[in-house]
Amino acid sequence: MSVIDLLITIIVVTILVTIALGVMTYIAYKLRLSRRPTAQGQGASGPRFFVVYEPPVPASPAADEHVA
Amino acid sequence: MAARGRTVVSLGIVLGLVAGTVWFTLWALHSPMDVQRFLIRLVVISLIIFLAVLFVRYFTLLWFSFLQLLEKTMQFEVDDASLPPVSIIVPAYNEGAVLGAAIDALLRIHYPTFEIIVVDDGSSDDTLATARQWEGLHGGVEVRVVAKANGGKATALNAGIAQSRFDFVFCMDADSTIAPDSLRAAMPHFRDENVGAVAGNVKVVNRENWLTRLQALEYIEGLNMPRRAQGFIAAVNIVPGPVGLFRIEALQEVGGYDTDTFAEDADLTLKLSAAGWKIVYEENAIAWTQAPRRVLDLVQQRYRWTRGILQAVRKRKGILLQPFPDFPLWLSAWQMAFEGVVWPVLNVYGHLFFACVALLYGMGELLLYWWVLLTLLDLVAALVTVSMEEESLSLVPLAIVYRFAFILFLDVIKTFAAVEELFRLGMDWGKLRRVALSAGGGASVS
Repeated sequence: MSVIDLLITIIVVTILVTIALGVMTYIAYKLRLSRRPTAQGQGASGPRFFVVYEPPVPASPAADEHVA
Repeated sequence: MAARGRTVVSLGIVLGLVAGTVWFTLWALHSPMDVQRFLIRLVVISLIIFLAVLFVRYFTLLWFSFLQLLEKTMQFEVDDASLPPVSIIVPAYNEGAVLGAAIDALLRIHYPTFEIIVVDDGSSDDTLATARQWEGLHGGVEVRVVAKANGGKATALNAGIAQSRFDFVFCMDADSTIAPDSLRAAMPHFRDENVGAVAGNVKVVNRENWLTRLQALEYIEGLNMPRRAQGFIAAVNIVPGPVGLFRIEALQEVGGYDTDTFAEDADLTLKLSAAGWKIVYEENAIAWTQAPRRVLDLVQQRYRWTRGILQAVRKRKGILLQPFPDFPLWLSAWQMAFEGVVWPVLNVYGHLFFACVALLYGMGELLLYWWVLLTLLDLVAALVTVSMEEESLSLVPLAIVYRFAFILFLDVIKTFAAVEELFRLGMDWGKLRRVALSAGGGASVS
């Protein structure tokens, strides 16, 4: 294979590979965009593996006085 | 349309374009001899037109850039008394990692009177807290903070402009650093009362890997050279987001930034140009910006730029049909459309077509000459533009890779983005990740 043929092969392969990589990267970008958290993870029944801790509400002095 | 639905349509467009290209190639292969002969003639004619357009574009830009440079050397002396006060607007959305450095750099610029207005656009990180730390007077320079609900960069800039106390505003990005003499270099252009805006010179600061170094060359050769050439006819078509100086009167006349495109800088520039204001370029008004380090971030940025620019052109498509009375405006709008759609599509299909022809019809030598010519052209353009900006000559050899793969790769992305814009597919802003650069080379990601 002559140097000219080698150069031509390198150019053609690079052009085709670059375009293919561009297409694949664009597809990857679009697929990454579509990966987003949805509300399904916390379905209707709430969190599955743990229960959120809610501290007891302290009785406020004002409320006590009102009750009293 | 939901994000997932949009992805499906996008992928459909990609597959459609690829399938159409493959189908056409196969059809051409199996077509009768007279059709094939016609195709070969078409290839040769396309090659000549393609090269002619390319050469005319390059040499026009280089010539105008050179003239602009000559004009620049004849510019005036600047004394502090002649420099009017300026409001610097820093819109920030989740820029906590870089905002402090940006404000600190702004406080060191060499300019007699200015104020800094930081606009927090409803950030969810510590941007507002960081901004508040800097609020107040710093040696005669007041830093003010405006907090607003999230509404996008255009609304943040408008909020900042509304708070401005002076007749000139300097708009920038929170992730950019301004060179100390930027304002001093740009302000004298406003001595011409018809100048509405001055576009600055954006340079890549993080030249740490092959991707960001290629972008550094692209900013010099691909973005600044056209801007410099456009500056010669006072019709720059994009005052870049990281470094733009505006006359408040001009902004008020056109109603500030619009919120209906994804390239508010291109949109505003076209609006100002359409209103008759001159838009000029100042190479010494320098902003150092962070280029995307990762390929997918680069794709995201270019996707947004392409669609945003096309949105801005579409809003004022009437300009494309009216070369007179404002020829520079017409030229500048056409250049936006050309760089956004025509050129990327031509470049991708040109390369593909010539590669296929080389493979199928044995016209490899033609392809080689074509490629060598393009590469030489890029090397010359890189050498001239890098020298004009007194940049590192080590960027010049990158022009080979720049032509060989980088531009072609970006043009594939631009082609898909342009087709999606044609179908008006919904899109998101797509916030890039920012890294706080430290003097010691350390970095933290936000």
